Parts: sequence; C-alpha cells; structure tokens
Amino acid sequence: MHKRLNAMLLLAMLCCFQYSIAQQITVTGTVTDENGNLLPGVNVVEKGTNNGTATDFDGNYAIDVADSSGVLVFSSLGYSTKEVNMNGRNTVNVSLAEDASQLDEVVVTALGIKKDQKALGYSLTEVGGEELSTIKQTNAINALQGKIAGVNITQNATGAAGSSRVIIRGASSLSGDNQPLYVVDGIPISNTNNGSASLWGGADGGDGISSLSPDDIESVSVLKGGAASALYGSRAAGGVILLTTKTGKKSQGLGVEFSSAVTFDQVNTSLQDFQTEYGQGTQGRKPATQGEALDLGTSSWGARLDGSPVIQWDGETRPYSYVGNNQDHFYRTGTTLINTLALTNARDNMNYRFSASDLSNEDIMPNAGLNRKTFSLNLGSTMAEKLTTQVSAKYIIENVTNRPRLSDAPGNGNYTVANLPPNVDVRFMEPGTNPDGSERQYSNNSFSQNPYFAAYNFRNEDTKNRIIASSSLRYDVLSWLYLTGRAGVDHYTIKRTNVTPFGTAYRPLGAMSETEIRYTQVDADLMLGMEKQLTEDFGVTSFFGANKNSIKEEALDLSGTDFIVPGLEDIGNTANQSRNRSFGERKIGSLYGSVELSWQNWAYLTFTGRNDWFSTLSFPGKTTPNNDFYPSVNASLILSEALNIDGPVDFLKLRGGYSEVAGGAQDPYQLALTYQIFGQGHLGQPLGGINGGTVPNANLVPFSKSEFEIGVDARFLESRLTLDLAYYNNETTNDIVNVSTSVFSGYGGASANLGKVENKGIEFLVSGTPVLTENFRWDTSFNGAYNKGTVLATNDDDSDVSLDEPRTRNVRILHQVGEAYGTIVGVTYVRDDDGNIVYDINGDGVPLAQEGERKILGEGVPPLTLGFTNTFRYKNYSLNFLIDGKFGGQIFSGTNTITYGNGLHKATLAGRENGLTVSGIDGATGQPFTTTVAPENLQTYYGAINDIAEEFVEDSDYIMFRQLSLSYAMPSRLLDKTFLTGVNISLIGSNLFYLKRSVDNIDPESAYTVGNSQGLEYFGLPATRSYGLNLNVKF
Amino acid sequence: MKNSVYILLITLLLGACDKGFEEINVNPTKPDQVSVSTKLTATQLYTSGSRYENWRANLIYSSTMIQHLATTAGYWSGDKYTWNRGYAASLIDQYYPTAVKSVEDMLLQLETEDAPAEMKAITRIMRVFIYHRLTDMYGDIPYFNGGKAVINGTLKPEYDAQSAIYADMLKELEESAAALGDGTSAFGAADIMFQGDQAKWRRFAYSMMLRLGLRLVKVDPAAAEQWATKAISGGVMESNADIAYIQHTAGPEGINKNGNGEVFSADGNPRMSETFVNVLQGDPRLPILAARRSDGSTDPADLKGLPNGLDANLLLQQTGEEDTTPYAEPNRNIITGEDAPMFFQTYAEVEFMLAEAAVRWGLAGGDPEPHYNAGVRAAMNMLELYGSAAVIDEADISAYLAANPFDSANALEQINTQYWAATFLNEYEAFANWRRTGFPVLIPVNYPGNETNGTIPRRLTYPESEQSNNAENYQAVLAAQGPDLLTTRVWWDAE
Repeated sequence: MHKRLNAMLLLAMLCCFQYSIAQQITVTGTVTDENGNLLPGVNVVEKGTNNGTATDFDGNYAIDVADSSGVLVFSSLGYSTKEVNMNGRNTVNVSLAEDASQLDEVVVTALGIKKDQKALGYSLTEVGGEELSTIKQTNAINALQGKIAGVNITQNATGAAGSSRVIIRGASSLSGDNQPLYVVDGIPISNTNNGSASLWGGADGGDGISSLSPDDIESVSVLKGGAASALYGSRAAGGVILLTTKTGKKSQGLGVEFSSAVTFDQVNTSLQDFQTEYGQGTQGRKPATQGEALDLGTSSWGARLDGSPVIQWDGETRPYSYVGNNQDHFYRTGTTLINTLALTNARDNMNYRFSASDLSNEDIMPNAGLNRKTFSLNLGSTMAEKLTTQVSAKYIIENVTNRPRLSDAPGNGNYTVANLPPNVDVRFMEPGTNPDGSERQYSNNSFSQNPYFAAYNFRNEDTKNRIIASSSLRYDVLSWLYLTGRAGVDHYTIKRTNVTPFGTAYRPLGAMSETEIRYTQVDADLMLGMEKQLTEDFGVTSFFGANKNSIKEEALDLSGTDFIVPGLEDIGNTANQSRNRSFGERKIGSLYGSVELSWQNWAYLTFTGRNDWFSTLSFPGKTTPNNDFYPSVNASLILSEALNIDGPVDFLKLRGGYSEVAGGAQDPYQLALTYQIFGQGHLGQPLGGINGGTVPNANLVPFSKSEFEIGVDARFLESRLTLDLAYYNNETTNDIVNVSTSVFSGYGGASANLGKVENKGIEFLVSGTPVLTENFRWDTSFNGAYNKGTVLATNDDDSDVSLDEPRTRNVRILHQVGEAYGTIVGVTYVRDDDGNIVYDINGDGVPLAQEGERKILGEGVPPLTLGFTNTFRYKNYSLNFLIDGKFGGQIFSGTNTITYGNGLHKATLAGRENGLTVSGIDGATGQPFTTTVAPENLQTYYGAINDIAEEFVEDSDYIMFRQLSLSYAMPSRLLDKTFLTGVNISLIGSNLFYLKRSVDNIDPESAYTVGNSQGLEYFGLPATRSYGLNLNVKF
Repeated sequence: MKNSVYILLITLLLGACDKGFEEINVNPTKPDQVSVSTKLTATQLYTSGSRYENWRANLIYSSTMIQHLATTAGYWSGDKYTWNRGYAASLIDQYYPTAVKSVEDMLLQLETEDAPAEMKAITRIMRVFIYHRLTDMYGDIPYFNGGKAVINGTLKPEYDAQSAIYADMLKELEESAAALGDGTSAFGAADIMFQGDQAKWRRFAYSMMLRLGLRLVKVDPAAAEQWATKAISGGVMESNADIAYIQHTAGPEGINKNGNGEVFSADGNPRMSETFVNVLQGDPRLPILAARRSDGSTDPADLKGLPNGLDANLLLQQTGEEDTTPYAEPNRNIITGEDAPMFFQTYAEVEFMLAEAAVRWGLAGGDPEPHYNAGVRAAMNMLELYGSAAVIDEADISAYLAANPFDSANALEQINTQYWAATFLNEYEAFANWRRTGFPVLIPVNYPGNETNGTIPRRLTYPESEQSNNAENYQAVLAAQGPDLLTTRVWWDAE
C-alpha cells in the first residue's frame, strides 16, 4: 500500500515538474517486444530526471530531452526494464524482453477470467507460447515435458502421430483416463485417444490435443489443483490446461510473420547394446540348411561369428559376421517440416490474426508419416462503445499414414528389427513381398513379420477434419458490471482404413476395416460479472454464470475378412462382412459463481461454486439426484505488503485452498438395461436378448475428489531470485470401479462408486537471474515435484483391479489396496529362506528357474520429476537448454525379456565358450547345488529365466538432456534498411542424450499405451534424437 | 437494462439446467425390450451351445472320460483325468451369462406381459433342460437365484443343494406339462425346436421327467419309480418325429453353427475311442459315425479305435504307431458338420429308459424287449437327420437286432450300453447316464500325474473365480457337497 502511494506521489511530481524544464531535443522511437510486436503504454523516462512519457497505441513515443547524451529508461508491466544510452541519436528503437518474475502478473484463470497472480490462493503456472513453438513437437504439448512442476508428461514409443500422456498431480481415478481437460479460448475440446496398442498389438490412434499448431498458442495456463480448476466442476478431476490462442497485435510492417522449422529425427541407436559375437543358430552351431535358418528366425544361440559362409533364410549364403545395427539399417532419418504464415494487425477498433500452418512429417518408420494443415483466424473488435467481440476459428486437416504397429509381433516391424540375430541383415528382407505379392517370410513363425511387409503392405490411413471455433461477446453494462456470452464448438470426423493384406503369412486371405468417427462438442456460457471497490480498502470481484455442454459421438464401422480377388483392398471384396454403429450423446448443464473479496490489496479470499446436472445420471423414473455441487475456497495473503517487509524480500505470499471437484460418469446409457437384436437371425428367426454383460447401476454418481493445498511464493533481491512451493493432499472417493460378480449371476461385473485414491505431493520452482549486465543475462530455473499416489480402496472386497499386461503375460499392472497407484506385479523367482534361487534340474542337468508367485516388482509411474532450465542471453544471442529427469519408477522391459530368451541380450554371453557355472537350490531335494551348464544347453537355461518377470523389471530413472536451442535475433539496426522488421534464427536439438539411464537397451519412457497401465515396454518405436533449424521472419 | 439482464439470467439458470436430460439418456440404438419370441430362438441356440463349452466340457472332458473319443493331445484333459480348471468350468462360464440369463429374463417378461400360459410352460421346460445339464455336471449350483443379477440384484448367489434343484425341476416339468394345451403356441416358428407344437413340448416335458426321475434311482429309488410312473402316464416321446434337437446352419455367425462341428473344424486331434469302436463292431452305425483319419476310409475293417490315456510316447511304446492317423475319427463327411443337428433328447433314449423302467418296476407294459428293440431301431434311424449318407437300411437294423437280441440276463447293461451309443456327441448326457448306471463298464486309464488316482471323474469343477468373487458361498458349498474335485460325487450319484 505504501509503495503504491509513493508511486502516485512520484507521478504527481512528474506532472508538475514536466513543464518547468527547458526542452531542447525530441527523441522518437518505437518499442516492441522480442517478437516484434508493438508495445503500447511503455513508460519512457530520461534517467536521473523526472522527465517521462509513454508509448502510444502503435508503440511510438516522443520525448523531449535536454541533450541526447543521456540514458532512457523503458519500463512496462510484464517486461524487464531496459536502460538505453542515447549516444546522440534522435531515434531510439527498443525491444523489451518479457519478464516472468514481474510482480503484478496477470494470468488466465478458470473460465478465461484474467486475474492478478497475487490474488490467487492456489498454484497456477502460465507459460508463453514460445515454450511450445521454439522447439516444436508434432504433438505440441510434449514440448512442456520437464518444464512445469507437477505436470508429468510422457512421450510414448508410438511415433510422431502418437498420443501424449499428461498427468497433473498424480492419477486420481483407478479407471478414468486421468488426463486434464483442455480448454481452448474458453471452449473445452476433445482429447479422446482414438485407439492404442494392447498386449495383442495395434497402433496408437492419436489424441485430440495434438491438433493444435504450436505457432498459434499465445499462452498455456495450467490449473493444477482443484482450487484452481473447481469452476470446471465435474470435468476438473484431472486438472485443466487453458490454451489461449494468439490475437491480432499492432505490427510495425505489413504484419506478416513467417516461421519455418525443419527437424531431423534419428534413432538413438546408442540405447541398444546387444551382443554382436554370436550369430543365428541353436545349441552353439549355425544353421545348416535354409529350412533351419527359417526355423531359427530370431534365435541367436549359434556359433561365434567367424566370417565363414552360412546359409540364410532366403537360401543365400553370406558370411557369418556381424552386419551392424539393424535399427540403423531399417529406420530412416525422420523429417518434420513446419511452415507457418501469419497475418496479424490491429486497427482502432478491431484486430485480426490469420495463420496457415503446414506440418509434414516423415516418421523414422519407413512409409509412415503425418501431414497436418491448420488454418486459424482470430478476430477481435469493439463494435460499439461498450460492446466487444472476439471470434476464433481453427480448421485442421490431419492425414496420417501407417501409424506404426507396436507391442506384439504381428504387423509390428519393430519386433523383428529388434530381434534379428547379429549376422542377419534386415536389408535383405526388402522387398517384403514375393513375386506373387505374398509375404517374404524370414522365419517359420508366421506371426513374426517381415518388417518391410509390415511397413509397405500393411496399411492404415486416417484423415481427420476438425473445426474448433468460439465466439464471445462482452457488454460493459456499467463501469463495474459486465455481461459476457461465449459459445463454441469442437467438431471432427475421422475416416480410417485398416488393411491386413492378402498374402500376410499369419492371415493368408487378409482382412480390412473402414471406420468413420464423428464427434461434436458444443459449449456455451453466459456470465454476469462485477468488479467493485466498495470502500477504499474493501473490494469485491465476482461473477455468476451458466453453462451448457453437449457431446455427441458416433462411429460407423465396416469390417471384412478374407479377400476374394487378391490385391483389391475393398470391403465389397471380402467373404465375411460385418458392420456396427455406435452412438452416444451426453449433456451437462451448470450454474456457477465466484466471489473474490480483497482487503487493501494484500488479503484475498475467493469462494467458488458450481452445480452440474448430468444427462448421464438422468433417466425416466430415477429417484436419486442427477446433479452435484462442487465448492472451493482459497485465500492469498501478501505478507510482504501486510507487514511492510523490507530488505531482501520483495514479495512474500502465503496461499491455501480447499476444493471439491469430480470426474467420471461420462458414459451415457449406463443406468438401465437395454436389449438388442443381434447376429443375423437363425432359420429366418431374429435373435434377441440383453445387451451388455455389466449390471447397470441406476445410482451411479461421478467420483469426487477433494483437495487441500497450501503454498508460498517468495521473491528476493529485486526478483532476481524467486521461490514457489506447493503442498497438496487430495483424495478421490466414490471412484467408479467394477465390482466383481459371481459368474453365476449371469453378468461379468457391476459398476459401483467404491474406489478411493489418495495423492500427496510437493512441488517447487526456484528461479533466478544469477547474472544480469547490460549485454549478458543468465536465467535459470529448477523445478520438481514428488507425488505419492496410494490406492486406499478398490471395490467391495478390496480385491485387485487389473489393468493391462504385456504379451509375455507374466506381469501385469494392478491397483492393490495400500500400494502405489499402478503397481507392476509379476512372476518372481522361487527363493529359499536365505534368498537363494530354487531350480528344477531337467533331464539334461540344466537348472531351470522355478516360477514363483506374483509379487509387486515396482510402480509404473515415477513419483519424482525434475526439470532444470537455463537461458543465457548475450546481446542478440540466446542459448537455452533443458535437462529433465524422472526417478523412483520402474519399467518391465519386453525387449530385454525376449532378447534374453533368444540370445541377443548381452547378459547371455556368459558361458558361451566354456559353459556357465550356476549355483542354487535344487527344488527336488531342497539341497544346494553347483553345476556347469554346457554351452549347447544355455538357451534352455536362459529360456527358463525369461519367464521370470522379476529379472526384467528395472528402475526407469533417467536424466536427459532434453532440449537445446541457440537463437540469434537480428538486431534492428541491420533490419532498418530492409522491409523486414524481425528475423530470428535458432538451432535446436531435442532428446539429445541421457546423462543417466538405469535400464539397459531401451528408452525408459517407451511405453506403448497412454492409458493407466504405465511401466510396460514391448517393442514400440525406438527412441529418437532430433536436430533442427528454426527461422522466424516478420515484415 | 439491468432488470432485463437479471430476468434473462434467472430464466436461463433455473429453467434449463437439466431440461430434456431424461430423454437424452435413452439409448437410441438399443431397444428397452424385445419380443420374447426372439429370446426363445436365442436361448435355444445358447443351450445348444457355442464352440467354447462344447469343446471343453462336452468333448475334451465328457466324451473322453466315457470313452467315446480318445486322443494323444495333452490338452484333452478328460482323456487322462488331468485337471484344467478353466476347461472344467467352461459349461458354467458359458451357460450362465447366455442361456441361464436369457431364460430367466424371458420368464420375467412373460410374467410382466401376462403372456399365454403355454409360453410360460415352454420357457420353464427350457429352463429345466438348461439347469439339469448344469447340476448333473457340477452338483450343487445356484439355481433359484442364478442369472438374476438385474432381476433381483443377486450378484453373488448361494449354491442350492442338488436335491432341492431336482425336486424343483421335477415340479416345474409337471406343472408345465399340465399347462400346455393343443395346437401351436404363440412362439410359432421362433421355437426352432418344435415350431410351437405344444403336444411335442408336452411329450418332451414328460420325457425329461423320465430322465430326471431315473437319475434318482441310486439316491431315492422310490422317488425314481414314482416320477417314472408319472412321466409314462403323462405321455413321453413316441417316434423320431418327437426328438428334441436344434437344426444348425453353417453360418453366417458362430451362434448359428453346431458347436461340436466348430470344434471338429478347428481340432484334428480327437479319435474314436477303442472302447466305442469295439462296441460298434457289427453295428451298421460304425461307418456312419467313424472314418479313418488318414484317408477317410469307412470300411469297418479299416476302422480302429484309439486307446484312451495315451500320449505320443506311450502310443509308440504300446502300439508302435508314430502318430494317430491310422485310427478312426468322427466321420467328417457326415456327423461333424457345422450345420449338423444338435440333440437334446431323443426318442431312442426314451425307449431305452422305458425298457429300464420295465426291467426295474414292470412299468411301460412290463416287457422291456419291445422297448429295447424300438430304441435300437430309433437310434439307427435317427441318424438320417445327418443327411442321406446316414440312412441305414431296415434290413441292416433287423440283422443287427437278430445278431444282438435283447438279453434279459444282462438287461440293464445292454440297455444302457445302447443308451451310451445313442448319446454319442451329447456327451453331457452320456456322462450323466454312465454315472447313474455304471454301464457300459469302462476300464479307467492311469496316466502318469492324473488327478483322480486312476478313477474316472464323477463331476467337473467350479470356476476358479468363485474363490474370490463368491467366496462365502463357495466355502459353504464345499462344506455341503465336499471338496471341489473331479472325484467328488454329486448328490444323485450315491455309491
């Protein structure tokens, strides 16, 4: 308060003195931000004087100074203050750098309401769009990995068009999708995952958030906890991410912005470290015949590689020598080219921004790729004195070809490439077809695909057309009262074709499907808001509103098996056809409100409430409520202001909040039994019966999640050092779980509100500017989060909730009461009391590890995440890097399991020459034994170990050098004589190398699904490192 | 201005928060009820069964335990009395979510819709058929509250004692038979078994009463006689036109196909058991039922049965054969089609039961011989339902009867051995009748590591999931019936 008074006094004094000083020289210029946008309202003061002015709407200023040898000070809210020596110039153009550590930050909060950061009683992180657009990812949200404490982003091994898993403050539902709600310009958008791989294989179908072009994003606001997101009520359980798209800004030139980015992706072959000494074969000898080579497709139990001739799967004789890394041979260098052209400008009562963006990706998997075109228009206008409108519309066309198959071997080229013996060169498998079009099999196991056949003959293509549009209208009824209406739509169609071709070894006649998905979400808000300072000290900011949200989904599916005419891939050309249509519609109606009380600008108390009515909980004759209320309260106390703290502490805020939000119960038609006419009749009689195998629960409610959070926000040394700490504790109750039923009940299960999950955690962000001189600046920040998720209850008898298992089927992700969320439970060794492994000795005297009971072997989601960012700016150069890490989690490696069994894993080298000495307990006698396994029996010995999941669950800890960028902004003096107003060039790199990695041979994040079954690796696309170049030009 | 804003808001807020929501949440792609006739067709197909339980419970277990079939394949657990819990529970796993759930739903609908009495009667008879198969196989099972999770909220039903189940099933048959009228029921052609012919349903009900009554012969001979008497006086099947069977088609979907036929399409391992082929020597049915695996020959001289209880090693040791292709398998040209009929109960079986009732109690006219002869003739003639290749000349039947005349000294063995031959492929029934009568006398195998100490199993076991999903009731049934083992006897299978 005192500061503010001082500032006002100063301003008054300025006004007085201005006229009493003699004026001699007029200095003019333009002030822009780092991106060349014109900045209005920047204070320009002649240093050491009270002489000052401010920039106009177009960023121009003119100041009269006594002489031009002095220094001008430019300052503006949200930007670093800059001092510039006039050096006798009459024109001084300046660009200001944004300063994230400014005190009076205005951030976007729930429902798009802009608020002063200091009034918030909860944790909210807002980052600028450049965090997404400097190092562009094909799924833009992935660029935030490691940057925001408490936001755990996992990029899976699913290819460039794959989905992303974003979990904020731990997963809160045992079976829900747990990902945040994405809201674009006030409109919730779909982030549906349209298919993912399972233990039987499949491909990732992509998600909704990937549609957005990173160049269109102005800012990203992450509402981590319930207190921040409570105004989204039943959709807030996973947190909310608000994306605000760019609007038109006054530009210096024509207002053209062009950006071009090229990125090259290469398989990070350094991860895989297999043995290269022993070749294809069995029992220590190489194949003798072509038939044997086919039988031993992926068996590396042969002789030591000696360069002697050996017959291979295709009947050719080649040297028995290491052929190099087959990943290098098979995968290509992926390229991603992103070009964006934007036209942006502002006039007196309107602003606009139009952009067109093209993303073309060729994935590292041959013949796989992605093209995404985005057209975006933002239009803002002041239609009348008190009436403003904002319209934004995006049209996105996305074509994906050949989403790579993952997990199980059929159709999955990755499986073959990873498993080939060291002397078998994958390149000889090209082409993947015989002259008659059938698959060229390299192995007698027909499920193990020729990778070229998988890449070029298997076909999956999808096209997504999507419109995301919103419009809003604000009418300022009185100076303190406004009315806002907003409506928007997210609509898309996906057309997908999937072909298992004629001639596929495991499915000789082939199969195909054609799917069309339609999705429409309509969302509308009406809100009345007021901001009033009631007394000098006491202010009220509040709003009340209503929302209606409706979602319709429809899918048409045609499928056929057994092509009749070879090569004609059309549904009509299949012998057995079936069709299906699914449809779902749901609506939520809501009333909400928020009241914020403020006292003297240092104490803030905010209450919010939302009541949601659900169509999914409505049914004729239903007596239980179809609605629920979600309240929150949060408070912020600016101690530095209240106590008038001086000294090194600039700002100290305590905050705290409590909230109740919800999730789930999203599926329509779950309350009552329905029937169906099914099949195609029998002897002319239709077949009818009950639809579905789950007992409907008319009393189902959404799960509720309550959360308590507190935090500290402190800034020291003129904000050169800032600290943000948060602690939260949330509990999900009434989680919707499957209640196991007896098979005698006739039903496979029933849904009930019985689950309970707890998440506790801390988040921290320390950032600072250790060095700050006129030409050099070093900004650093370190963030981290630790989340402990615990399953408190599962179902009626607290039995385990089963999630997915990998193809090895010796391990599974489970929710167990009292344990971490999503534990890895698998087959262990049998051990005696002293921990010695128990073996069965077989007829050849080979000890075979006994399969023990299934035990917890780890947790799939690392609880600790860290990120370390540094930016160095020297004059017009800027160097930025990000290191991130995750700790405390484990991963089951299918790659290590399978390669252990087939003799490719390096550990299987032990004993190849002279036999392996094994000690343990003989299961038959209970007595210790020591024996030497002869080289020819090693595969039997190792083969038994590969059934033991315990051996292949390892820590997934890593520290990665995630991002690097070196940027150069051409100085304005070089551009002055050109038509250009801004040029920026960056060299970028991402996923460059691991500083630490616990697990062998694989990327510790290479899960194949974005679902809750994290911690399973099974032959996804190999990890890549990327390099590229970014160019931004403005004129 | 201000007022109008408030009015607008209030109207919007209070009026429209959940308007129309009840209608939205009604699934437009699924009806809230379907005609009960469509459910009968489905229920009859469910009862005939899918490939799943026909493969596991009917063929892998039952057919090999009673030595109709034999195989060296290790996963055919019944051949060697090994225990595969999943296979053993397959009839429960498959029947309750389909046939049981559907027939209970039908009864509720018929009650609600106040349907004609004969529709309820037919549905109750179907229900008895479904449940008798289950209880005969497993013993105590949830009967009164099975399949009723939606109807009365029973998610974890109690197991009912087989004695109570039998009492209720017999009562159900009696009441249903009495409720049936003449002419065609309202089910009409949706009844793919009898096309709505109420007289046939009544004869089927009494024939089932005869079957269930005779089942009690060891545990309660007086009740057995009483129910047999009642059944015979009510009127049982009179000819092969009364046979209860489902006519299958080769597609378009799995539900349309004969589940046994689907098994034989997928599994080339089963062979005719040596025991069965030996019994069929000189029987005109042999070349219809069996063919040599290697070349399809049906010359009786080429038809050799495979001994039960062998694996490939033992086969080589004991017979010198390297594989099982020289042995006979079910004749793929005639009886294993996916469009083959599936028999629930046949007239031949009824005649054999009448013969037994005559032997035991002097019922059915008191003379077993004509019933025996009629049974043999019916069993041979009914094969024509498999198609023209399966028609047997009357002369051949007469010759067979002449060579194998009724033998009053060994009447029960002879009658029930014929019953056993006539229930080939309806292995559930063959297994139950063998346990009841002990005929034919089968020599058990004693495969290394078998689960029964070299005795033929007496039942199949409950789903493993019951231990966790219905623990209390599962423990209770173990206490009541005995351990959940293949060797535990069901109530009527008294020693």
